Parts: sequence; structure tokens; C-alpha cells
Amino acid sequence: MDGEMKIGVYVCNCGTNIAKVVDCDAVAEAAAQLPGVAVARSYKYMCSNPGQEMIIQDIRDLDLDRVVVAACSPRMHEPTFRKAIQQAGLNPYLLEMANIREQCSWVHSDPVMATQKATALTRAAVYRVARHQPLEQRSVDLCPDTLVIGGGIAGMSAALDLADAGYKVYLVEREDHLGGNVARVDLLAPYLDSARDLLTERITRVMEHQNIDVLLGAEVESLEGFVGNFTATVRGQNGSPFRRSVEVGNVIVATGYKEFDASRITYYGYGKLPNVITSFEFEKMLRQGRVQTKEGRLPRYVAIIHCVGSRNPEYHTYCSRVCCMTALKYAHEVKAAVPGCYVSDVYIDMHAFGKGHEDFYRRSAEVKTLFLMYAKNDHPVIRKAGPNDGCEMLIEVNECLSGETIEIPADLVILMVGMEPREDSEQVAHLVNISRDKDGWFIESHPKLDPVATTTDGIYIAGACQFPKDIPDSVAQARAAAARILARIARGKLEIDAVFAEVDEDRCSGCRVCNELCPYSAIEFDEEKRRSHVISALCKACGACVAACPSGAITARHFTDDQIFAEIEGVLA
Amino acid sequence: MSYEPTIVGFLCNWCSYSGADLAGTSRIQYPPNIRIIRVMCSARVDPTFVLKALRDGADGVLVCGCHPGDCHYSEGNYKTMRRFPLLKKLLADYGIEDERVRLEWVSASEGQRFADIVSDMTEKLRALGPSPVKADLAHDAVER
Repeated sequence: MDGEMKIGVYVCNCGTNIAKVVDCDAVAEAAAQLPGVAVARSYKYMCSNPGQEMIIQDIRDLDLDRVVVAACSPRMHEPTFRKAIQQAGLNPYLLEMANIREQCSWVHSDPVMATQKATALTRAAVYRVARHQPLEQRSVDLCPDTLVIGGGIAGMSAALDLADAGYKVYLVEREDHLGGNVARVDLLAPYLDSARDLLTERITRVMEHQNIDVLLGAEVESLEGFVGNFTATVRGQNGSPFRRSVEVGNVIVATGYKEFDASRITYYGYGKLPNVITSFEFEKMLRQGRVQTKEGRLPRYVAIIHCVGSRNPEYHTYCSRVCCMTALKYAHEVKAAVPGCYVSDVYIDMHAFGKGHEDFYRRSAEVKTLFLMYAKNDHPVIRKAGPNDGCEMLIEVNECLSGETIEIPADLVILMVGMEPREDSEQVAHLVNISRDKDGWFIESHPKLDPVATTTDGIYIAGACQFPKDIPDSVAQARAAAARILARIARGKLEIDAVFAEVDEDRCSGCRVCNELCPYSAIEFDEEKRRSHVISALCKACGACVAACPSGAITARHFTDDQIFAEIEGVLA
Repeated sequence: MSYEPTIVGFLCNWCSYSGADLAGTSRIQYPPNIRIIRVMCSARVDPTFVLKALRDGADGVLVCGCHPGDCHYSEGNYKTMRRFPLLKKLLADYGIEDERVRLEWVSASEGQRFADIVSDMTEKLRALGPSPVKADLAHDAVER
């Protein structure tokens, strides 16, 4: 069999990403000696146009029938190279990738060992691809309706784009109103426009849109099925309980964030000192038009403390990205509400990275805000003032820029609490079958190139449920998710992997071990024949039945025993 | 030359393979002794894969799947979890040391954990020495 085979092997240097540790020419030379290999080349960037063109040209000129690309993770570029070989007329499944970047050059520094390992991985891919079979891709109808979980600014923005394009959207919101966390905010940085105006426009359009079914006071109870054809059960709990089942093709998760619980930090006296409040409590004051102390007096001194719960190894190590600009906004809003009030802004670093942010920072300095810098591991200390101090509290700051310990008066202290994942983010992740990072935020498919999709096909994420985000970034991600889904709907049919399990009826003993094992009930028992068979449309190719079949009667297409045995031999040869 | 063990790793596509990729994108260094084979689910790991790897010269085999409750296929890892002790029992009967074959849960966000497991396993196998299967096979070959 090997004699007739013509395998092309392409070792990618990935610029210097692979080549600086792995001797790519040596890997290609070793591969050229393997049975069935007709050509083996090392090249700067296999995924580039000239790289792909090289493969296509070789397939045509040398009549290659199988291709191995030793490069990055198949999770990154397998679709790229499958498409490339398909262009040259090969079945896309006659490709195998060896992961010599993420699982070799990026994690090993010894060139000799890394080159040995890359050679072994490439050899395994060659052995494996020699046993690949051409497979036919399946296509299924795609339901054009979408489920959006979360009715905040992100969820509403995504829903509107989908609905405006003419498709049905089910927008599920747990609260009895739309708007999410933005509804809790007064003005917005850096232009000091009204959050309410912004939301009213969105909410009105969403509520009146004939293509959007808004389900308030409701939660998604379960999600079954796969991309193109999900069935979601939505349960309404407030007022009029209901349970509804909806069919959708795609899902956008836009469940947002919650604020850090300031009472977890004891040294700022939150919960003990009545005039130490959180940023969200202050927003409420602003929305009610009453900036005052607990005792009902106008404050003469307001202090704002940054990074409460953020950038701190004890709580959250990450930056919450919106608090710095919100703090500057407070300086403006306090001055507007209580003219003559002194505002101190106690920060670690001022993160003013967004459009208009740096100008906003400058304007805030111009309204006479006192900026005091503290060190990450040296937080300010708040204590109750004495009767003769003329203020409610005193804050001691070891100020970094002056190098001096400075005591500032305060009648009201605003703690800039960071963002954190919602308490139920784990349940939501399980519900839609996506992963969370170490902090609990949902993980995107690729941090740079695919920040909207997830590792579960058909499930998209938008807004602050993925990581702290301001409104423009949340809206951008939401509309990107909507665009991705629209692109899919436009194609009508959905190409799905040709990979699934098959039962060899001649070898099946009819023991039915596999029947109960399948999580998708994709295996049926034919009572007449006394044999099991796989309903391929339902099979998701996990392979659990294959490993369990005592007769070895089940084959996992593209993950056959034969192929995996070849790979084992390859890595160990 | 000092002895360097070879480990064959069977990693599920969704959690653990992504976790290993994350170790890469985060440039977390670990010993080059492991060779990773991707499977869709840890439940696809037929016990014969492990036996085959040991017979073909692996000094250790690492099986990694999603954490319990996180399986991409709902419950594949529970099947792996239940199957594994049976395999270990069989391996013990063959005289293969417990440390040689390991089942671990690694999520897509646990690049560091994956690197730590590989480092730890490599170290333990270095201390343990080459797999007895290799010597036995060589002995059998001479007898024949």
C-alpha cells in the first residue's frame, strides 16, 4: 500500500516561531526518508498564500494523494489546509497536521530534543495520514432563529442586528427589565452623555421589534442539540410562571458581570464606616440627583479610591478596564452636583487607553482634581476623623510621586469596585457547554483571531461575560457575533464534520452495551436484526462507544484504531 | 547517557489538547519527553491504546480529559473515570508500576497545570527507570 502512496510533507518555520528552536530542514529531511513520502519541504510560512500555493502546486505536479503539514496546532489552521488541498482536488480528510509549535517549539528550549520531538510528531502524522480515508462532508439545514441570553447593552445590540436582517431572535433576560448593568449608571465617560438616553433608544427598538421575542423574568433552563439545531427550554419565574421550548440555530451568551463585593476588603471600612460607598452606590445617588453623606449633608471632600478588588493577588489580578475613566467621570459629576467640593483621586496607574480617554484625563485634571498615586502593595488607610478635624474621615496615602505620606480629608469615599464573573457563570458555562478561564470568564475560540466564537460551534460570547469591557467594546463584540451568525444563515446549509461512528453489523453481537453509553441516544437497536446501528446525524463522534464495544464492531471515522495505532507507532519509532 | 523516558499523551480535543496549546501560547516550558496524540474525547481512549503504547516502547502513558462535569460530550470523562481503574488493575497484574499510567483532568485554561503534570510525570519516570515491558520484549525476542 505504501509503495503506491504519494505523501507531501510540509514543515512550517512560522517565521522564527518554530525555526528558532526546531531545525525544520532536518525534520523535512527525516520525513523525506519515510515510506510513501514523495516530497518534504521546509518553508517560512505554510499558511501564507505562497505556502498554500506550494502545496496545491505539488499536489498537481507530483500527483500527491495525501498531505502532512507540521506547523501550529490543528485547532488553528486545520481548516485552512483542508481547504487548500480541497482546492487541488484532494478530499479534505487526506490531511494530517503535526503540532510542532504550541506543543513543541513554544514549550521546549533545547534544540536537539525539540527537533527530535518534532521529527517524531511529523513521523506519526505521516504514518497516520497513510491510513486516512476520504470522507464525505455532511450538510444539515440550519435554523435561522437565534437565542440571545442576557438583555444588557451587548445582548440587545446583537439582537437588533439579527432582527433587522429579518431573522427571529429570542432575547431572554432574567430581570423584569432590559438594560443590564448600564441601567445602573448615570452619565458615561468620556463624553458625559446619559446612559439612560442610550438605553432608552435600544430598549424601545427591541421591545417594538416584530422579530424579537423578549422573554423577561426568564432563564434558559436547558440547551440540547448542536449548531444549526438547538432546542432551548426557557422558564419564566416572576409573576406568571411559564415554560417554553424554542428552536434556534445559534446562541449568543451576553450575561455580563457583577461588581466586586467591597466587604471582602476590610481595610477600607466598607460596611462599617457609613460614608464609604461603592461606585455603584454612588451611581444610584447620581441618578437620584442627591450627592450627600449618610447624614444628609453635602460633602465638602470626596475621595475616590481606584482598583478595589482589582490588580491585587488576593482578589483579582486583572484590571477591570472601566473604573479609571468612571472615576474621572465622578470628579466631573461631583463638581457639577456640589460646586466647591474638593475631589481627591487615589490611584495606582491611570489607565486611559480608549478613544477620547487621554483627553478626558487632561480635562479632569483641569477641574482641579487632586491626583494621588499609591503603590500596588501599599493601599491607603481610612480612619474616622476626630471632632476637630472638620471632616468625616481621614485617608493616609503613601504618595508615590512626591514620596511623602499625605493625609487627606473625606466626607464621602467612593470605592471603585472592579468587575467579576457572575455567581452563576459556572452553571451558564455548563448549560451551553463552553469553558471558563482561571478567573471564571468565558473563553473565546482564539484570543486574537476569534474573540467572538467559543470552542463549541454555534455558541458565541459578547460583552463583559468574556472579560471586563466598556460599552463600545461590548457593542462591537455583540455586533460581531451577530454578523458571524448572519454569515452562517446566508449560506443556508451547514457543513458539518464528516466524522462519526459506524457499526459493522457483521461483527456486532447485539449486546447493546453501546446503546446506553451514547450521550446523544444516537445508537438504535434493530430488534429484528438483533444488531445496533448508529444514526449518523445524531452522532457527535466522541468515540465512547468505539472504545467500549467488546466485539470491536464500531469504527470512529477519522479516529479509527488503525489510525491511532499508526500514530502511536510513529511517535515511538 | 542518562535515561530519558518517553511519554505518550492521549488528550481530549476540547479541554486538554486546548490546555496543552495554551501552555504553548503562554510559553510555559516543560520537558520534551511527551508526545501528544489527539482524541476527540478521553472516552475514546481504548485500553488497547495504552497497552499498545507500552508495548511499542513508551515508558509512561498520560490520559487527559475535561474535568468531571465539563465534558464536551456531557459525560465521556465519567466513562473514562470508571474504565481507568480496571485498566490499572490489569497493568498491575502485568507488573507495570502504578506511576507509569496516569489519568488527569486538564481544562482549556489550565496550561500551567498541564505543564506541571508533564514535569512531575517526567521526573517520576526518570526516577523509576525504563519500562519493564521493553526489557521483557527484548528477552522474549532472544528466547524466540
